Amino acid sequence: MTTTRTTFSRRGFLGLTAAAASVPLLAACGGGSASQSGGSAGGTIKFWDMPWATPALNEASKKLTEGFSGANSKASYQIIQWNNFYQTFSSAIASKTGPAVSTGGGFQAFQFEQQGQIAYADNLIETLKKNGMYDDFLPGVVEPFKTDKGYVAVPWHLSMRVMWYRKSLFEQAGVDVPKDWATLLEAGKALKKIGAVGFATGAGAGNNIGNQAMIMMMINNGGGVFTKDGELDVLNDRNVEATEFLLELVSNGIIDPAAVSYTSANLDAQWKDKKAAFGAHVSQMDTRVGDTSGDLLVASPIAGPHGDKGGLVFPNNIMMYTNTPSQEASEAFLVYYLGQLKELWKQKLMNALPVFKSIAELPEFASDPNNVKIVKEWQPIAKTLAAQGDKLNANLAVLDGGQALNEFTQTVLTGKTDAKSALQAFESGLKTVLNK
Amino acid sequence: MSSTMAPSGLSRARRGLAPGGSGAGSPKPGGPANRKSKLSAQTSRTFFWLLLPSVVLLVLIHGYPLIHAGVQATHDGSLIQTGNFVGGENFATVLSSPAFWKAAQFTLWFTIVGVFGSWLVGLGLALLLRTKIPAGATFKVLLLLPWVVPIVVSSTAWNWLVATPDSLVPSLFRNLGLGTPLFLADPNLAAITVMVFKVWVSFPFMMMMISAALASVDTTVYEAASMDGATRFQQFTQITLPLIARSTYISWILMTIFCVNDFPTIYLLTGGGPVSATTSLVVLAYRTVFQDFATGPGVAIAFLMTMTLVVISVLLYRQIRKSSVE
Repeated sequence: MTTTRTTFSRRGFLGLTAAAASVPLLAACGGGSASQSGGSAGGTIKFWDMPWATPALNEASKKLTEGFSGANSKASYQIIQWNNFYQTFSSAIASKTGPAVSTGGGFQAFQFEQQGQIAYADNLIETLKKNGMYDDFLPGVVEPFKTDKGYVAVPWHLSMRVMWYRKSLFEQAGVDVPKDWATLLEAGKALKKIGAVGFATGAGAGNNIGNQAMIMMMINNGGGVFTKDGELDVLNDRNVEATEFLLELVSNGIIDPAAVSYTSANLDAQWKDKKAAFGAHVSQMDTRVGDTSGDLLVASPIAGPHGDKGGLVFPNNIMMYTNTPSQEASEAFLVYYLGQLKELWKQKLMNALPVFKSIAELPEFASDPNNVKIVKEWQPIAKTLAAQGDKLNANLAVLDGGQALNEFTQTVLTGKTDAKSALQAFESGLKTVLNK
Repeated sequence: MSSTMAPSGLSRARRGLAPGGSGAGSPKPGGPANRKSKLSAQTSRTFFWLLLPSVVLLVLIHGYPLIHAGVQATHDGSLIQTGNFVGGENFATVLSSPAFWKAAQFTLWFTIVGVFGSWLVGLGLALLLRTKIPAGATFKVLLLLPWVVPIVVSSTAWNWLVATPDSLVPSLFRNLGLGTPLFLADPNLAAITVMVFKVWVSFPFMMMMISAALASVDTTVYEAASMDGATRFQQFTQITLPLIARSTYISWILMTIFCVNDFPTIYLLTGGGPVSATTSLVVLAYRTVFQDFATGPGVAIAFLMTMTLVVISVLLYRQIRKSSVE
């Protein structure tokens, strides 16, 4: 009987092990920058996108991206999850495996610009001026991205925070929709009697609506966290007044005492379950919570005690990086992609405001009265987190998702503070982390 | 004669010499002992080469990040740029921050409650399951669920149970006339809720560790103790606890590490709030790096945590060795 044995020597085993171990090492050393994966002269433009709405949006965006063919290049598409997105981008950029073009956090372009990773979009802007797309932008949406060195990004949609109300609850409570802070307080008291929440918000795990509502009320009163020159100005009179008003809403039970811990899901459930009657939320909140019956409506901007009105806007943008197979190709891709954005609104996949007039006029967008109201009434008065100033910068990223604002919001929502103490703590928290 | 022979035999045995073998002088060249030493050297070389890839990988996986983190903790850079060397400034900033000490205090309580709470529940259930109860195996599997279910799922379930005044548990309290506790909105209640959640998630691990230790205890010891008149309590304190001490210490070490490093349990349920009431050191480190973009201080917090954990682990490990010797 003959047996065939495969001999596997110790040395062979060691060799195999060493080879296996070397694979990740070689892979790690290989880098793999955006410029290396190209199959054509201009290489492949890596476009990273975020989950801005449902997965269907990303599917559509992917199709648009893969349809690009210009400047001897093509483009690839990748979704980056919001969880730890800054870390994801940072790690990739540091290892030269990052994107050539991306969407991302509202102030991400400014952060990476500080670190020399952003390719300025001045040439792109010139191209947009030449092809007429620049004139199609809504007023004032491009300039916030201009720094001393150039444009760090171009806008592609506006994420608005506006006031919403549930019509049936106001009817049930027998009060009008608030037009100013005084009527908001009165309406809140009446709504409380029927078990409804007169100023719905939330500041639990991962929920930024509460933080944004705080800033929105400051802006609504002509205040804001920064001066027009971009200096910290947390303790101004208007902010104090706004915080005092919010504390009054808390003490009157108009803000839900559990709001401090409400996640986005908890808050959305309050709206869906007809508990929330009035409050700040994102545009197209009705779609988000699954109630498009017409009972959830965008309110007109309310006036502060001095007659000021204001909303909050996050101009979300697309940025280009220095690590690209070809700057020309990056720009060509971005011109192409901006031109294709219309498709996302046509398919009703985007739940935010467009930055182009032509998209805002699309019947698919304009047929929703809430959208029209936001464009007509809120967009013109909306300010960014840079208020009272208007120049966006990297510091706003620290304000947007940072601990200082979250701590301030939660302190106010628990009601165990006074306005000045809360604002002082907010200011000192910001001072420790803002770039000097 | 045997009394004089025995020590000599033991001594030979310790030197690895067979009865009748030569114990005097050095082994002859080419003799069995030399061949053994040659074989031994060859075996060592083989082990060395076999271990080398793993060691290299371990160094790369653990060593490189550690060194890189050390660099970040002593610089004022970002996740991309190293920045300027600032020495111990980040550590000084962190150690002088009230937020750090508040987080350290919460971490301490969270760890104490997490370790001993889960140990007590696990011990109780392990003892219960040791007795013959109907469908004991099924219970064991069911009791493992909190450990097995992904933390994202269980935190969502707990949020659903306690988050709003109309959630199940607050409604239950209200119906019992106990008011409407805001389990996640009140800072003190939120801290307690997070700790209870941790105990709930962790007790199955403790239960399994203790069950395994109890399975190895000889039941005749208890029979003997009973015959000697020992009460059930005495049997528990004098026999059971000492016999499972080694496993207990190991489980304490592991659970301490789990608790101190536990990010998802806290972050998914409360995000560290309200008003930082449930911010542990690991949550603070995360928020400092990824929300405040202060990389150096954030990594410094992580370093301080690691050092503390090493000290605690060494102390508990010494306790294990002590209990082994005893």
